[in-house]
Amino acid sequence: MQYQYTAEQTEFKDMLSRFVRDHYDYESRRVYLSSGQGFSKDYWQQLAELGVLGLPFSEALGGLDLPLAYQMAVAEEFGKGLVLEPFLPSVVMAGKLLAASDNSEARDSLIPSLIAGESVLALAWEERDSRGAPGKVLTRAQREGDSVVLNGEKLAVLAAPNADALLVTARDDSGDLNVYLVDTQSPGMTMTAFGSVDGQPAANLRFEQLTLPASAALFKGDALPVLRQILDESLVVMGAEAVGVMDQLLATTVEYCKTRKQFGLPIASFQALQHRIADMVMACERTRSLLWAALQAVGHSHFGDSVAMLKAELGRSGRYVGQQAVQLHGGIGMTEELNVGAYFKRLTAMEVLSGDRDYHLDRLALGSD
Amino acid sequence: MSIFDDSESARFREEVRAFLATAPSEEILEAGRKTTSVFAPFKQAIAWQKILYDKGWVAPSWPEEYGGTGWSIQQRYIFAEECNRRGVPPVLPQGVQMVGPAILGFGSEAQKAALLPGILSGEDFWCQGYSEPGAGSDLASLKCRADSDGDDYVLNGSKTWTTYGHHANKMFALVRTSSEGKPQQGITFLLLDMDLPGLEVRPIIGLDGEPEQCEVFFTDVRVPKANRIGEENQGWTVAKYVLEFERGGSTFGTWLLPAQEKLRAWCTRENAFGERLIDRPALRRRLVELDIEIAAVVHTEKRVNANLKHGENPGPMASMLKILGTEVMQRFSELQLEVAGLDALPVQNQALAVGSEVAPIGDEAALLAMPYYLNTRAASIYAGSNEIQRSLLAKAVMEG
Repeated sequence: MQYQYTAEQTEFKDMLSRFVRDHYDYESRRVYLSSGQGFSKDYWQQLAELGVLGLPFSEALGGLDLPLAYQMAVAEEFGKGLVLEPFLPSVVMAGKLLAASDNSEARDSLIPSLIAGESVLALAWEERDSRGAPGKVLTRAQREGDSVVLNGEKLAVLAAPNADALLVTARDDSGDLNVYLVDTQSPGMTMTAFGSVDGQPAANLRFEQLTLPASAALFKGDALPVLRQILDESLVVMGAEAVGVMDQLLATTVEYCKTRKQFGLPIASFQALQHRIADMVMACERTRSLLWAALQAVGHSHFGDSVAMLKAELGRSGRYVGQQAVQLHGGIGMTEELNVGAYFKRLTAMEVLSGDRDYHLDRLALGSD
Repeated sequence: MSIFDDSESARFREEVRAFLATAPSEEILEAGRKTTSVFAPFKQAIAWQKILYDKGWVAPSWPEEYGGTGWSIQQRYIFAEECNRRGVPPVLPQGVQMVGPAILGFGSEAQKAALLPGILSGEDFWCQGYSEPGAGSDLASLKCRADSDGDDYVLNGSKTWTTYGHHANKMFALVRTSSEGKPQQGITFLLLDMDLPGLEVRPIIGLDGEPEQCEVFFTDVRVPKANRIGEENQGWTVAKYVLEFERGGSTFGTWLLPAQEKLRAWCTRENAFGERLIDRPALRRRLVELDIEIAAVVHTEKRVNANLKHGENPGPMASMLKILGTEVMQRFSELQLEVAGLDALPVQNQALAVGSEVAPIGDEAALLAMPYYLNTRAASIYAGSNEIQRSLLAKAVMEG
């Protein structure tokens, strides 16, 4: 029963904590945000050197093959520092899905360069009407001779504007879900890049008669179970990031309440605000407990349910902690002057991404997927 | 209900509707649609104010002899209902609802004659200098000093959360003229021009990436004592009067009802799978729960207003109306965000600008969902935080 990081994991996490502390003060983050790509290529390279980008991958591919808790540790520290480098979308989502694919050629050529920090991958799976369900896909991949023709639309594809290759989910002629490797420069693809509310670069993608070689297919047979597994693991990692964000917001808010004086007293001395702090603590702790419960469920049949619980709780608790951090800071919490707003917006984005609270409640209540 | 539905009210409603049908330009209506906080886009809000001014309808709450409409409180509610139904931008409150009443209540005849016309027409745009970095909920602890020097006050200090300070040509401010006695006793209500030497405005970027609030810094800014409203050291009384005047006719419900109608229509659209969001039991229930909350706000406002006579204010009930109204607005903003889903994520301030040629990314209906959600977090902070309002309400009830 793991409820905390092991000694080795803690050592690794502490190293990441130092990395974030050294590189990610609020002002530096603003500079990365306003740079063309929205993060620092130098840090991406440094993360590769620290082994972060190879954590989940087999040694055969050049990775470290370490348990999921290591990815959690990274995400938690990244959450505390609001790190912008695309670890979650590129390594934990796209990278792991590619590593699990049946297409050894694509896997063996791209994963090592991802691990080395030379390339960024993105996974395009969410659609406007899928609302969190990975199998609810309108994008079609039709076989035409030796080619596959892609038509459809993907939303909020994280890291897509910086990606060297895209993994795109689509239904093939037999109705199976498959994943296709798509070059970012492909004719037939329109990329509408945007900055997401949390500062992360993302894009909406539209495919119109995009022609791919048949070898672009990454799976033989239905890829949905693998995709579900990888997405659920990514939600554990996202949950760890959310815990990092919430811990940081709570600490910042407590500090502010202790120092901010009104009516001649620190506002922390007002009972109404003390109770609010207590509720924020409980929201953090509920999420943290469900995070570890989800980690313990890896490899068990109830893993999906545990993840759905975690994400549903993240939706509620993340919102509460974010909103109350802004409220207790008052006007200054509504500005870009402090990082409180940036943490709140990151939690808000996490609430919306990868299935909202309703979607995950339905997984539990109706067994839907 | 009858006082809102009698034949006279119905006739009045028809008159308002007929005017609203043609008076606002397409640009003004676009600004109404693209309003993501209580403050509408500046240029079009002023343009709409001028149209209302020409019609004589810009200041329904003012006495008739100074440019008011002579409407009952109930008619004012109907007017607000129809304006929100039509989607015109709200008149910016700083002039007509804030500094205007201060001048009406405490200004000299000369001040009234000199200042009220510009407030009504929108030619003068006023901003509020109340809060300071160290004085928020505890407003009376404000420190911005106004030292007496002959016929002038000399101002030193700063103000913050001054909405649209960067657009304003005039400010009404609370300044400290004495440190004797209770903090409330040494405050003076002062009017000043924004182009005075020594005055500096710095816009603050909000969560939505746009400047709405400002900081204002004063370094030896000379303001004639003739610009004082009321007596020296009596500014707190003026400010309280304004606050009560402002709370005279709470109209959150008039905004919430049409907003909720639009949200329901959005949920009723069919997606590519032939499904509608409204057919999801959980979401449908939340819509209905919000319907109930909105109905409670609407009827509480109407009930309170029905019992008010002109010039009266609802007293401690005003705190309740502020909490109810703002928190239901916040829950609406949350539900709208949930409905918008992934389309809420792109930051698209360019597409949000009035008159923009930039097309929205994704579903156009979702364009406002995120900025509105973020900005509406301020509703429980501004105009006396909801924590302060709860304390006031509890105190009023317990002291009976």
